[in-house]
Order: sequence, then structure tokens, then C-alpha cells
Amino acid sequence: MNRLSQLALSDEGFVFDPQTGDSFQVSETGIAVLRALKEGRSDEEITQQLVAHFEVSPEEARRDCTDFRGQLKNFGLA
Amino acid sequence: MKDLAIGVSGINAVDNPGPGVGVARSLKEDASLNARIIGLAYDAMEPGIYMDWVVDRSFIMPYPSGDGGAYFDRLAYIRDQHGLDLIIPNLDAELPLYLKRAGELKDMGIATFLPSMEQFKLRGKDKLAEVADRMDIKLPKTKVCTSLEQLHEAVEELGLPVMVKGSFYKAYAAYTPAQAVGHFHALVAEWGYPVIVQSIVSGEELNVIGLGDGEGGSLGLVGIKKISVTSLGKIWTGVTIKHAAMMEAANRFIRELKWRGPFELECIVKGDDVYLIEINPRFPAWVYFATGVGVNLPARLVRAALGVDQPPAPDYDAGKLFVRYSYELVTDMVKFQQAVTRGEVG
Repeated sequence: MNRLSQLALSDEGFVFDPQTGDSFQVSETGIAVLRALKEGRSDEEITQQLVAHFEVSPEEARRDCTDFRGQLKNFGLA
Repeated sequence: MKDLAIGVSGINAVDNPGPGVGVARSLKEDASLNARIIGLAYDAMEPGIYMDWVVDRSFIMPYPSGDGGAYFDRLAYIRDQHGLDLIIPNLDAELPLYLKRAGELKDMGIATFLPSMEQFKLRGKDKLAEVADRMDIKLPKTKVCTSLEQLHEAVEELGLPVMVKGSFYKAYAAYTPAQAVGHFHALVAEWGYPVIVQSIVSGEELNVIGLGDGEGGSLGLVGIKKISVTSLGKIWTGVTIKHAAMMEAANRFIRELKWRGPFELECIVKGDDVYLIEINPRFPAWVYFATGVGVNLPARLVRAALGVDQPPAPDYDAGKLFVRYSYELVTDMVKFQQAVTRGEVG
């Protein structure tokens, strides 16, 4: 099963990995990106969603999304 | 179920706690067992003796050394005076005696639910390679040493740093050859040969508590991660987890060895790789964590030992938090006097 889909994510941004017991705290933007990734959305869809909900340019949103994916990879979650 | 007198050892709920109080508390929480807990202590200062809401009556025991004659005489006395239907021994040092004289216990009408001597020996630190192979999980590179020369060869081959472990207890990290030699001598002096030298594997330290039915089936498993530990390495906070590869390894351990009784697997997990660090042939001190998430392994052990039918092991949720805390009780000095002078309290 996809590791991301297993993550428990609260409305406050607390993330729990039931496989390793690790927990993380993510920002409001992080919550939006993580929820979208768990739903299997593409980077482009996530970028559009960030632009629509937060005051950011598409470039900034794309960069944030890439950075977030990189962090997930560092933690072995993607 | 009729009133059951259950002997529980390891009621030393101190900074390096034994599992006994957690076991006794679990048994008390299963009201249908009607458990009367008989505490088997080695010292009048073991806190479980004074926790009368968990342990009903306590006895000071002779050490389980030699042929165990005095120990078994004491068990016979307890059985005759107060009844003793079943014993759950919770300390490593007791197990060889219980296993050696298992038939005698049965003849005394005292049930246990323990592995065979052969299974017990297999989980020894010097036999872990064989078990890890049968469980199909990894083992850090390991060398078993019975001389100083072999220690030097092991350190040379594995490369520093290494873990230097006693055959029963204790493990130390060595960052220099001199440290390795120091630990080697200290461990030999305390625990004898062999000494185990192991590569250090970095990763998450995850543990599983379980109970095997002796025929290859599981009577329950709970996986945890220790979030914080004391200076003695004992869990203080933890969280339940479900690491698929580790839980499958635990199931293979039960299936392959046909393990009978409680156990704890200590693992290091790095991604999907699971390394076996240690197998404890008894409940760990955090046994109540499993009970708290709905998997009452001591109660299930009692039913299995008495041949009572029970439903399959219940599942549990990942993400349940365990918090140990310190607490105090105040009682009368008479209890301490009774423990010292009569060797029994309650």
C-alpha cells in the first residue's frame, strides 16, 4: 500500500505514520498539499489548488509542491 | 470461571521494572478470570508487594538457583496454604528452572504456558542467526566469542563501532578496541561466556509483544515504537504501530518455531528491512500497553494454559499512546515487617 495513503492527518496538521510511529507537524499549506497527494492529485492540480486558496503565484506554488515532495522523500514517505 | 490463584513474579516495579505488575494488572482487568494474584517476590522492597489492589498476597521466594529444590518447596507451600493454579514467571533468570522442572509443576497441579527448553535455547543471543534465517529477516553481522583472541578478530572483521553483548543481559557500544576489551571482561565476569559482538545498525527501534499457542498460531501481537526511554533504556512513552514487515516476521517466528508462550521481539527497522536484535522469552515490562489497546495477552495466556476456548486475537489501532508515570503509595510499616519476618504479606 502507498505509504502516503496510510498517513493519518488531523485538521491541525499533525501527521502520524502508523508504520514507523513517526509524527510530523505540517503548516496549513502542508495540510492542503498532503491531502491532495493522498488523493493522488498531480503536481499541476495541486499547484492550481494552492494558487486558488493561497495568495501565491503559480511558480511559487509549484516550487513549494516540489520542495514538499522532496521532504516527503527524505522522510521515506514518498 | 472459578476463582483462580495465579502466581506472578517480577513485581519489582522500580526504575528498571519487571513485567509482573503489568501482568497482574492485566489479569485483574479481565473480571471473568476471577484472578487472585499471588506475588512471587525476591525482596521485601518490591513495590508490587504493597500494591494490594493489584497483588492480593505476596511471598518472598528463594532464588531460583541450583536444582531449585528450595524454590519448589516454597511453591508447594503456597499451593497448599493458599492455592496456586497457574504461574506466569516473568524474569529471564527464572525460566531455565521452570522449563527444566515443567513436568513436576504439572504434577503439582500448577499450570504454566512456556516454550520448551529447546525453543528457549534457540532464542539465545548465540543462536539468533539461525532464528533470523527461519524468520526470513536480517541480523546485524554477529560474531560469538569465547576468547579474547576471538574478540579481537570479531572487532577487526566487523569494524568499529560494535555492540558487545552478554549472553543473558547487558549490551554496550564500543568505539575503540580498548572499550571492546573492557566490555568483554566486564561481561564475562558477570555473565560468563560467550560474548556476542555485533555491528551497529542505524534505524528505528521497533518492538513487538506476542503470544504463541505452541502449534504455530498467534494468540495476539502488538507492535510499538518507543518514543522516549529512561537512562536505563526502559520505555517511558511509546506509540502503537503496524509495521507490516515486522509483524509478518513476528508471525513467522511463531509459525516456524511453534513458539509457546509470551515473547518480545526487539528490532531495528530501516525502510522495509527488519533487523532482529533480540528475542525475550517472556512478557516485556510494558505488557500493559497491549492490554490498554484491547489485546490482553496475560488473560489470553491464562485461558490457553487452562485449555479454555477463546476467540481469535483482537486487532488494535495504531497511534495509541503509552505514558508511564511515577506515583507513590503510603501504607503501614506492618506490611514491610511481615515481608521481612514471615516472608509473606496479605
